[in-house]
Amino acid sequence: MTERGSRWPHALATIVAAVLGSLFLLFIAAPLVGIVTTGGAGGAGALWHDAELRQSLWLTAWTATAATVLGVVGATPVAYLLARRRIPGGAVVAAVLDLPLVVPHPVAGIALLLVLGRQSAMGGALYHLGLRVTGSPEGIIAAMLFVSAPLFVSAARDTFERVDARYEAVARTLGDGPWRAFRRVALPLSIRGLAAAGVVMWARAVSEFGAIVILAYNPRVVSVLSYDRFTTTGLAGALPVAAVLVVCALVVLIVLRTLSGPRLDGAGRA
Amino acid sequence: MIELRAVSARAGRFALSDVTFDVPQGAYGIVIGAAGAGKTTLLETIAGILPVQRGAIRLGGDDVTRLPPERRRLSLVYQHAFLFPHLTVRENIAYGALDAETVDRVADEFGVSVLGDRAVRDLSGGERQLVALARAIARRPEVLLLDEPFAALDPRTRAAARRALRATYYERRFTVLQVTHDFNEAGILGDVAILLDGGRVLQAGTPEELFQKPASPYIAEFVGAENVLSGMAQPIGAAAPDWTETTRHETEEFAVAFTTGAITLYAIGDVVPGPAHAVIRAEEIALSVAAATSSVRNQFPGRVVELSFAGAITRVTVDVSGTQFVAAVTTRSARELGLAPGVAVVAGFKATAVHLC
Repeated sequence: MTERGSRWPHALATIVAAVLGSLFLLFIAAPLVGIVTTGGAGGAGALWHDAELRQSLWLTAWTATAATVLGVVGATPVAYLLARRRIPGGAVVAAVLDLPLVVPHPVAGIALLLVLGRQSAMGGALYHLGLRVTGSPEGIIAAMLFVSAPLFVSAARDTFERVDARYEAVARTLGDGPWRAFRRVALPLSIRGLAAAGVVMWARAVSEFGAIVILAYNPRVVSVLSYDRFTTTGLAGALPVAAVLVVCALVVLIVLRTLSGPRLDGAGRA
Repeated sequence: MIELRAVSARAGRFALSDVTFDVPQGAYGIVIGAAGAGKTTLLETIAGILPVQRGAIRLGGDDVTRLPPERRRLSLVYQHAFLFPHLTVRENIAYGALDAETVDRVADEFGVSVLGDRAVRDLSGGERQLVALARAIARRPEVLLLDEPFAALDPRTRAAARRALRATYYERRFTVLQVTHDFNEAGILGDVAILLDGGRVLQAGTPEELFQKPASPYIAEFVGAENVLSGMAQPIGAAAPDWTETTRHETEEFAVAFTTGAITLYAIGDVVPGPAHAVIRAEEIALSVAAATSSVRNQFPGRVVELSFAGAITRVTVDVSGTQFVAAVTTRSARELGLAPGVAVVAGFKATAVHLC
């Protein structure tokens, strides 16, 4: 009786968890599957004869990649410092870095426009240097970077925090300066976590719409193109574009997640 | 040589306060302390991983207080090996080594050369610790800092690792500072012992000094003294009646009567009248079934309360008018004396075996 009494709550919890998990997966997958099943055939055809869609896909891919590279290079040191050092006002810095995740993305676009638009001091200076941010791939990259880099910083910071600082302490006593210890120890031990963070950032950059549409409606990335097709030709025009984006993103994410693989750090604990 | 002068440092909730001690050139220093005493904080401060807030650290005669770890000519080995998991065993040992020849020689000394290209994750705990020691030694440090390097090992592996380290130490004669919570470690390895508690040095000296003359009841108990009695001390000088032991006036030590509970025992020491503690090591107390006729000053009749068998030695608890003493006798003697709970015995110990603090 006692044994049965202890087994039933466990079985019930398992069933409830399975049902809730399935509902959640269904909630995420159903719209995406719906897009692919409804617009997949049209999307495959569009890929063949729709030059604008192909250009848009390529533009989305390379601008998201460029934004990710810039984000990884620029944000990794910030994430490392936030993880390792007690910086005065570190909480404020972290909050500011998280802010783009909270503000509505059109607001982010407006903020970027204020700073990088031709009428602004910085935007004007960049324009005179031959760099036009609004209505250009550079603007798209800026918008993608602004909204997706905080995700990278957050994930990279967690990654560095999970690597025990004593690895670097040992490296320091073995003759490494701070930068060398970072390069030879902290970075290799964090590399897979950083790669995973980069994947998340890239994925977020690909899906960005709100900030891009304010800063650079043209040239059109896929998110803007699908919106444009929806407003001009309706659902029938937007579905193939959306289906192509979903399938391409899924393939890329599977490949990147596979390459990221399991984490290395912590394996050296005795 | 390691010299610390009034060093204060902080790491989270752990802090060091006014830490001062010396470990001579080529000596083996042991820092002993309970968990939370600040032992690792001390090592990391000496290593330069934690900044010094006040005070000075000199290594090999040079002031290194403000130098970064990589310029202090030392190596640090933690309790957990912290081998770099993305490198092979040999790459780990070679990490800070100055030349390949040293890597090979040190790997041989620690018996890990056969592990060469193996991945760190495939090593046992003992192998990891040996590789970590080899990695530290391959750097050819002038000072080696060890943070409980043997604590996580099984007794057999611990003995092998200790032997390998000891052999290398005798050959190279770098200065060592090892932290441990086990006083026996100090007796086995140390030339200098430093007892740390709450980030402060309670006592520093040779392990024998800490063992024989602990500065406080806490230290006495920490180093394994089983008879720590609190009571009142009263110097009685050389005028004590029927005094037969040396009063050692030349060292300014006097005969002292120490009253604890219902008994008064005699000691030799330099104490002011008033509350004090008497420390008597269990090994110093002899048991007999009749009053001894020897010159032993302190002899107390009592009854055996319990026996604790531990191989060749048996610890016997004796109740003397409400005060309990623990005596360590050979198991053979315990058998010959017929010791058992309730048996009447006489516990005897010399006045010189009583340390007052």
